[in-house]
Amino acid sequence: GGMQALAQFVESARAGQAAFTQVVTTPPRQEQAARSKTSSGQFEFQRPGRFRFDYQKPFTQTIVADGTTLWMYDADLDQVTARPQEQALGASPAAIIASATTMQALQKDFELSEEPRRNGQDWVKALPRSKDGQLQSIRIGFAPAASEGGAPQLATLEIVDSFGQQSLITFERFTLKPSLPASRFQFKPPQGASVVMQ
Amino acid sequence: CAHAPSAPEPPASQPAQAGRRFWQGRLALQVESEPPQSYAASFTLSGTPEAGELHLTSPVGSTLALMRWQPGQASLQQGAQTETYASLQDMTARATGAPLPVAALFSWLRGQPQASADWHADLSRVAEGRLYARRLQPLPTAQLKVVFEP
Repeated sequence: GGMQALAQFVESARAGQAAFTQVVTTPPRQEQAARSKTSSGQFEFQRPGRFRFDYQKPFTQTIVADGTTLWMYDADLDQVTARPQEQALGASPAAIIASATTMQALQKDFELSEEPRRNGQDWVKALPRSKDGQLQSIRIGFAPAASEGGAPQLATLEIVDSFGQQSLITFERFTLKPSLPASRFQFKPPQGASVVMQ
Repeated sequence: CAHAPSAPEPPASQPAQAGRRFWQGRLALQVESEPPQSYAASFTLSGTPEAGELHLTSPVGSTLALMRWQPGQASLQQGAQTETYASLQDMTARATGAPLPVAALFSWLRGQPQASADWHADLSRVAEGRLYARRLQPLPTAQLKVVFEP
């Protein structure tokens, strides 16, 4: 089931990469119909604590966690924002994929529970323990292992924030690796970009 | 006699812009304090300066803040807390989060200059979905960059 797949992933997936598609859906409000925005790009991670989301479409945006600092670069705005990683990440979905190396560590930040099988995936629900009210729930979907005896594949992250906004991230061509070059998780602000540490 | 040529069509976007009530894009605000502070977020702005909503989300898609206003009342929601204010102007003046010139944004995003003692806006690239503005006062000065769908 989902919990077993998550345990196997957290404890055995050292590093990996995948293509991702993200659909952010804002619920209908006052005079606004529901709206959704789709973006896509490449995701890479190296445990513990390093990952990067390279958004390519519809615009270029890079998010890199180098283990201590979370860097966010928006090419159009030519702006880099940097924040201490644990301040920015503690109860965020990225912590699930790239930080915790044991279920106990994950259970420090999240209340984990098994969910029924749905569209061919095994699911876990993660409720953030921190009461800062940012995130309402995170659901993690695992697809069955590609090959016999192989590890289940992280396939979906469903994140709902406290305003009901849903972010659905689906991963494709998820390939695990023993490790990735450290340079993949080092961020150097581009020449001339305005950089502000928060 | 030949018909007088009809007046040239105003640029296609002109009438549409006047009645426009929805914009979305990304913004970065840098307050030149010591140390400097910066806010970067995706946004959707809807409605009018009298009644509307500004929704700020993080690059990864979770809500940072939701500002809503209507005659006589304005509210700022961040995570679990909600602060209420008497008006949009009152909220943007006192809200501790990003001190954004929300009312002026409605005009700037349409390419219409908005007289403001505090902010100076560069509307030269609004047709390409780029807007820059500098806050001259109150100090510290601040710089706003907006990329939006024109």
